Amino acid sequence: MLSAADADAALEQLHANGCTDGLPVIIPTAERVTRMILASGLDADIELGEMGPGYGIATVEKVAVAAVMAGCTPDHISVVVAAVRAICQPEFDLTEMQCTTHCTTPMVIVNGPAREAGGFASGFGLMGPGHRANASVGRALRLTMINIGGARAGESDMAIHGSPAKFGFCFAEDEQASPFPPLHTTLGYSESQSVVTVLGVESPHSVLFTGDSNEAVFADALLQTIAEAIANPGSNNSHLGGNGAVAVVLNPEHAAILHSVGFDRSAIQRELAARALTPRALMIRLNPKMLVGKEDMIPAVRDSSKILVLVAGAPGLYTMVMPTWCAGPHGNVTVHAEVELDQFCELPTPN
Amino acid sequence: MRDGIAVARAGRPAVAFVTTKFEPQGNFVARAEGMPDVPRVIVPHPVAGIGLDAMGELALQICDEVIGRLRNG
Repeated sequence: MLSAADADAALEQLHANGCTDGLPVIIPTAERVTRMILASGLDADIELGEMGPGYGIATVEKVAVAAVMAGCTPDHISVVVAAVRAICQPEFDLTEMQCTTHCTTPMVIVNGPAREAGGFASGFGLMGPGHRANASVGRALRLTMINIGGARAGESDMAIHGSPAKFGFCFAEDEQASPFPPLHTTLGYSESQSVVTVLGVESPHSVLFTGDSNEAVFADALLQTIAEAIANPGSNNSHLGGNGAVAVVLNPEHAAILHSVGFDRSAIQRELAARALTPRALMIRLNPKMLVGKEDMIPAVRDSSKILVLVAGAPGLYTMVMPTWCAGPHGNVTVHAEVELDQFCELPTPN
Repeated sequence: MRDGIAVARAGRPAVAFVTTKFEPQGNFVARAEGMPDVPRVIVPHPVAGIGLDAMGELALQICDEVIGRLRNG
């Protein structure tokens, strides 16, 4: 427990102790943290998981501290808790992700009723800035990684450049605008469940395409354009044997182009995996020491199911591709956890 | 550093190589893993990409120190 003369002094103390992301935070007073814990509906000492590289235990109380600091409202805490549960799953390789020189960071996708309950944006500018739920929840997760996991730039987080996405990367899928079933239903959940799906990714890479729906030629060209972006010869995906994952966030217009000629999510995944190839000769010419893979055409993603396809953003010209680090022991696995909205407790009126 | 700690935990003599730029991280990991004093040898940064000749020179430079650490911890 820290003590300070006033809020300004407390903020300076938090900055000085390396407890922030560099931006001002809401001071996590005992009263605010208690309210946030109450909003979670969970006991303060419940352990959600272990966070490397410092191996801190993420209790509900510590996560509530991060949520307060990040500016979350009580409506957001259940999503933060679920995101922490997700990234603490061993196959997410959190410790390795936090320590790597790569710029990877967790991307949190919210599906189900929690989207509306928490006010998560899925349209214009969903990846930021300007949407409180998206920004606060993504930031809260980062603050848990700093303060519970112990990731600090140049000391334990060795990212060479870092990434703006490391401040926080959270948004909702646009289930209404999507022609495909909600992402979480492909993971075995029902539509009525709320779920966070998390993948470690780079910042978004924009893919420009314009075309009309109802013509197969446009669908083919769109798939090829996205595949060329995935097969970026400078990416880890292309260099490290295609064992990692990729996220593709189609805007609703692009999704409609693909859907109108019969592509469902799995067909899109298969097409992108089959097309996202880089000639071995080019890779050897560019960067032979890092190349993994024996084929004449090196796949960026060997397993099509590791291409996360979802729909979000405003209708328009751009789709987003997020390459991944690929180098964790589990090769960048997508993880997920249910958001427990029914645990919410009624909060007393603040003093 | 983690590899060195894993080998030490297995009861084998171990020395971790850490470059100067990664020394703070190595120290952090050693503390977090509960073996703050695990033997380590600090080498100039970078090592990756310096070429075989330079790598060979570096190996000769640190060879005695590595053997000493393996013998004496």
